[in-house]
Amino acid sequence: DVKSYRKVQEDDDADGARVGGNEKFTNRPDNTAFTQQRLPAWQPILSAGIVIPGFVLIGLAFIGVGVALFVTSRSIQVLERDYTGDESGTPCASCANSNVQNCICTLNITVETLFKGPVFFYYGLSNYFQNYRRYGTSKDDNQLYGVLNPSDNCAPYAYNSNNQPIVPCGSIANSMFNDTFKLYQTVNGTRQEVSLDGKGIAWWTDYNIKYRNPTNNPLKDAFNGSNSGLFYRNFLINPIYWSKPAYELDTSDPSNNGFVNQDFLVWMRRAALPDFRKLYRRISQDKYPDGLPAGNYSLEITYNYRVYRFSGKKKVVFSNVSWMGGKNEFLGIAYLVVGSMCVFMSIVMLIVYAKFKFPDEE
Amino acid sequence: MTWKSPVALVREALQGQRAREKDLRSLMSNLPYEGLEKGKQPNRYFPSNAIKTTKYSLLLFIPMNLYEQFHRLANIYFVGLAILNFIPVVNAFQPEVALIPICIILSLTALKDAWEDFRRYQSDKKLNNTPCFIYSRKEKQFVERRWKDVRVGDFVKVVCNETIPADLLLLYTSDPNGVCLIETANLDGETNLKQRTAVSGNPEFEPESFNGIVVCEKPNNNLNHFKCYMWVSNTQKVGAGIESLLLRGCTVRNTDHAVGFVVYAGHETKSMLNNSGPRYKRSKLERRLNIDVFFCFILLFAMCLIGALGHFIWLYALPGVPPYLVPPANGHLDSPNLSSFYMFFTMIILLQILIPISLYVSIELVKIGQIFLITNDIDLYDEETDSRIQCKALNITEDLGQIEYIFSDKTGTLTENKMVFRRCSIMGTDRTGSSSRCQKIDPYLEFFLALTICNTVVVSMTNNPLETLSSLVKNTGNILKCCKRKPKRNRTFTMDSDDQFQPSVKMEEPGTSGLQPCSLHAASLHDKHPLTSDNLRYEAESPDEAALVYATKAYGFTLLARTPDSVTVRLPSGEVLVFEVLDTLTFDSNRKRMSVLVRHPITKEYVLYTKGADYAIMELLGTPYAGIGNEKNIAAVTQRHLDCYAKEGLRTLCIAKKVVSEAVYKHWLVERQRALTAIDNREVLIMDTAVQLETNLTLLGATGIEDRLQENVPDTIMALRQAGIKVWVLTGDKPETAVNIGYACRLLEDEDLITCRAILDCTLEEVRRYNSDPRNVDTTLNISLVIDGRTLTMALSPDLRGDFVDLAKHCRSVLCCRVTPLQKSRVVKVIREKLKVMTLAVGDGANDVNMIQAADIGIGISGQEGMQAVMASDFAISRFKHLKKLLLVHGHWCYTRLANMIIYFFYKNVAYVNLLFWYQFFCGFSGSTMIDYWLLIFFNLFFTSLPPIMFGIMDRDISAEMLLGVPELYKTGQGEGDYRFTTFWVSILDAFYQSLVCFFIPYFVYQDSDIDMFTFGTPLNTTALFTILLHLSIEIKSWVIMLGSVLFYFIVTLAYSATCVTCNPPSNPYWVLQNQMADPMFYLICILSTVVALLPRYTFHVLRNSIALSPLIEAKHLDRLDPSMREEWMKEWRSYRGGGQVQRSTLSTPPSPTLENPVDIFSESLAVSDIMGDDFTLNVFGQ
Repeated sequence: DVKSYRKVQEDDDADGARVGGNEKFTNRPDNTAFTQQRLPAWQPILSAGIVIPGFVLIGLAFIGVGVALFVTSRSIQVLERDYTGDESGTPCASCANSNVQNCICTLNITVETLFKGPVFFYYGLSNYFQNYRRYGTSKDDNQLYGVLNPSDNCAPYAYNSNNQPIVPCGSIANSMFNDTFKLYQTVNGTRQEVSLDGKGIAWWTDYNIKYRNPTNNPLKDAFNGSNSGLFYRNFLINPIYWSKPAYELDTSDPSNNGFVNQDFLVWMRRAALPDFRKLYRRISQDKYPDGLPAGNYSLEITYNYRVYRFSGKKKVVFSNVSWMGGKNEFLGIAYLVVGSMCVFMSIVMLIVYAKFKFPDEE
Repeated sequence: MTWKSPVALVREALQGQRAREKDLRSLMSNLPYEGLEKGKQPNRYFPSNAIKTTKYSLLLFIPMNLYEQFHRLANIYFVGLAILNFIPVVNAFQPEVALIPICIILSLTALKDAWEDFRRYQSDKKLNNTPCFIYSRKEKQFVERRWKDVRVGDFVKVVCNETIPADLLLLYTSDPNGVCLIETANLDGETNLKQRTAVSGNPEFEPESFNGIVVCEKPNNNLNHFKCYMWVSNTQKVGAGIESLLLRGCTVRNTDHAVGFVVYAGHETKSMLNNSGPRYKRSKLERRLNIDVFFCFILLFAMCLIGALGHFIWLYALPGVPPYLVPPANGHLDSPNLSSFYMFFTMIILLQILIPISLYVSIELVKIGQIFLITNDIDLYDEETDSRIQCKALNITEDLGQIEYIFSDKTGTLTENKMVFRRCSIMGTDRTGSSSRCQKIDPYLEFFLALTICNTVVVSMTNNPLETLSSLVKNTGNILKCCKRKPKRNRTFTMDSDDQFQPSVKMEEPGTSGLQPCSLHAASLHDKHPLTSDNLRYEAESPDEAALVYATKAYGFTLLARTPDSVTVRLPSGEVLVFEVLDTLTFDSNRKRMSVLVRHPITKEYVLYTKGADYAIMELLGTPYAGIGNEKNIAAVTQRHLDCYAKEGLRTLCIAKKVVSEAVYKHWLVERQRALTAIDNREVLIMDTAVQLETNLTLLGATGIEDRLQENVPDTIMALRQAGIKVWVLTGDKPETAVNIGYACRLLEDEDLITCRAILDCTLEEVRRYNSDPRNVDTTLNISLVIDGRTLTMALSPDLRGDFVDLAKHCRSVLCCRVTPLQKSRVVKVIREKLKVMTLAVGDGANDVNMIQAADIGIGISGQEGMQAVMASDFAISRFKHLKKLLLVHGHWCYTRLANMIIYFFYKNVAYVNLLFWYQFFCGFSGSTMIDYWLLIFFNLFFTSLPPIMFGIMDRDISAEMLLGVPELYKTGQGEGDYRFTTFWVSILDAFYQSLVCFFIPYFVYQDSDIDMFTFGTPLNTTALFTILLHLSIEIKSWVIMLGSVLFYFIVTLAYSATCVTCNPPSNPYWVLQNQMADPMFYLICILSTVVALLPRYTFHVLRNSIALSPLIEAKHLDRLDPSMREEWMKEWRSYRGGGQVQRSTLSTPPSPTLENPVDIFSESLAVSDIMGDDFTLNVFGQ
């Protein structure tokens, strides 16, 4: 009767809860999956048996990707030439040692086989810290957007000693790379200029959206004090290191002049690492549809940029590109290594699984 | 308003200060001064009844809240950093951006505080505007006012069922005896009624004629104590104590109306002084956490130092001034020394998130979530009382998962504290030998009269009995029913001992009329059924008393009424006797007894009835008991019965009486009066007078009251023990009672070696020898220690303490008997401090409050003994069995969740910050970032903060069923637990490894390419996000949130990159992510980096889960099986892990081999096991 009594009582309670539940048990917690922590959840236990397929799949996929990357990377041709001239005997040694403006030196290049197009022509600098913090802040985006007043960010390259505003202001613009290159192909003893294409080497968004010239026409008017929108009714000064004002960067093409000059845009996009290359030109696809044919070439360099102050190096790079960008063997190899490691791990896991499997994994 | 000079104001303020600080206050009636300005009021120095519990005011909220928040060290650090941002020479970020995180955190906390304060304000307002009646001289009557208008010195009328607005000295009640009943449930949760008596006892009380001066003590928070006297006229002084004080917050019951004089108002009332707000405890995990935060500081310092040094070397190695080295605005470059000094601070700003800024807020959020889930657990809800578990301490949830020692009270904690009268021994029959009992009813009469009179039970007539009472009655019926099978055995038992025990046996079954003792007239039984008696409801201060009164009622001795001056009893014969009560010597824990002095209505004798603990009474028996006569025999037999009751686990009480001569009484009365009016040392004096009278007692008999075990107590204790928790029971009961309860609740086991009151050294030596014995390496000795209060006092003395703790360490369970509340807390403190373990104390009564406060976690059981334990506790539960789920499931979950979350936070920040740190090696240690500032801040604040928080609240590593089924799993949290020194450093090292991978794989890919800074940073940031989130996926289940986080990241970053054309120089992330997402290399890099970063951790987990199976992982495996298979596996597992501890079908028989008890003459073991048999079946079917 003890049992039955308890049973009856329980039934009573249950009835009470059902009928008068709202009044009698006001404090009763809600019996929901959330409050009772019974929400369904999926969680695999990472044990050998479960991860073997994962490891095999990842391993095989990685090896596949790795092979593809590696093969692609091997097919990319790269031609690099240092022209710093810090060692005597090198073609540009004379220019490096003199302080002559527009010193010209020539680099002879031999292309053994056809350099498949499209061929990209880069200049490279090393030990150059474009990512230096102060350097990075030393520019004025608004100025380059067409509002010519330099901001304080640009100091001390915002105004010259006569308190005349500098345009474009700041250290990045001031230190713009100003070597120029001309490529000649030697055909039967005569130099024939290889036409280079400078269009579209900067980011589309930079050229079309982020950077904007003042609306004056001609552009020069914006700089000579007749720009009524400018607070300072002064002449605008070109950056200290520049030999010509911004509106003369490319006099031949108004759409490549001033702040939207492609070379300027490329320079203004700061490199992530101290050894970098920047795109200079493309070999014109109109004239050289297949790329650079084999033969002898000479590169005429107008040597202006000094690198000895930071023991830097300068180089030129010719390269063609694939879907994965420039030549890079690291990624392919890394994929191969990691992929084989995964496959190896899966074998280890198989052994572990055979030895230590848990019944629920069957 | 008249103008007052400042001097007068200051003087006034000083006077007020002095008046409030004085030890004694003289209060006068306000009535003669009614309508006068404030400066003329006699009681103007004392605060009014309006209360204000809010912390802030509307105007000063912001400064005050900020001031509060800056008491936290972490906040100061973050604000310091924010200020550092504004110093021009070091600014690495835009200062305004750097302020965002700290502002968000401060404002979140402020919002929370404001909301809490607003709720307090609302409740204050409601309370202050509650109506009440104050006497007004103008209107010559009580007029309705608000609570806030009540002032000290007013006369306030309270009517039935109304709440008392301030502390009132009771002057008049509608009751002719000057009695007022109050319910103190609001104050201490005790629902029984308490009786208060008017001071003057003057039935015609007129507020206006009141011209006395009330002298009372300074306000204090003691709810059970109040000292005051009143000058009725210039010469006559009347004393009053707590029995005349109506406390604010109590409710008047059963009394039409009462009038009181306000002695304390507002914040000076006892209930307000007791209101100390939520408790703040720091959990063990948080203490560890702070150490690790300190390590992070060291790490941060080291990294900043490396940064500064690197910058110095880099500058020093430059041959000239390169074009990228920009001088400050003044055009002059700083020296390498100076700029590397600045660089140190720049680095601090750059790497500041190494100290997890959001961790503290996240922990608080997680704990709120955890507490929400705990309080919403339906298994921790008790239908009978309609109460959930209450979490009073908000920040120690994770401590629940680390408990190593539980200290439990017995009565009301392990047992129901619902007393049922089971046995009694009446010596009367002893005298008459074997003569017919029917003729000699005197001893029974006397005995039951004593039981009926000697208590403080109040009778209340009501047609609406409380829920609890009806259930009590039900349960009583239940007990009585289930005892039906017993008499046979009991009879054999009594036959063995003595024939005259018959009545006491029969008394156990009053419901079965056939066994009616002939001594009590048969008719009397029918008397107890009349409707009038059925409506009687007894309000007792202790459940024992109620049980006794209900029992006597069952025997026909019905307590009809009790007033301060009289007790009305109806005898079995139907005769109604009114005893004049001359005095009540109330119970106190020193005397351990109470007495009532009455004047017999027929014999006119002065009789003192005393009831108390057996040893307290036995010592006081009259001289005849010391001799060799009949009396001594009676005492010895009674003692034997008492011991035998105790062995059955019954609570014993002795009843005695004494006839006092008139002369003695008169003499005593004088002293008593003096003691009552004394204002100093009153308690001592009153106790002394009581002791004076309670001598030379005549033994009437003894009673045995059963206190049933609560449901599932043995099960719970078993589970707790299997969970590696040592359970100590500290009780005030006799050792025999305690040992038997110990067996019943499976605290002690058959095979246990019980060491009882033994010599400490010997035992310890033995235990050590056993443990050092090479043969016994694998077996652990099951020792249980039973120790009584006196021995405990010695054991806790400084020179023996070490040995005692040493011995206790070896014991599986310890039972301390006859311990005082102070000893309870001392035991807890000693164990906690000496063994450096996590302790939990659980209790239900006021005597457990010390213990509850001494332990790391105090748990109060809201039971029969009021709410004092609950108010002092960190968690309040309603049944002992809830402890099982609270600790084994919630404790485990909360702990693992929080521990893993904290470690994850550290890991996350280190992994992310290190990306920036590695970049410093490639940017001349200049403090550059390759990730946009906004994204940097968002990364921590939004992209990666939600998953760990959800993880901390919701994750379940193992199902509740599994944790309950295999309590051993709890052991993983004990001691160091999951959150160890090594786990912290392993995760930091892992963070370093992962950040290296996340940085250098993109680095090698983009080396010597035309990549720009923020394009380079994008895959880094993305990889870090993937890695950090997938890292969590090893543990987490809320994949939805993680996917949400990833989506959120991409959406926010894409939107930001698309809109930010010239904003946020120098990063200018315009179209960067879009550009990257169009490049297959981006995905290839992200996938490779993520896989390589996580490969070691996953491999480690896989191998650990496959090779070195920890119990937790095994349990996880089992969790995946379907329920029936799981059951089987669990059983199998338990049988090889748990050893023989799982055999729960057999019942323990309680022979106690080394128990030094001389009373082993009758083999009552059968009876005992029988009792427990019932309990056990009850439990089984009660589930």
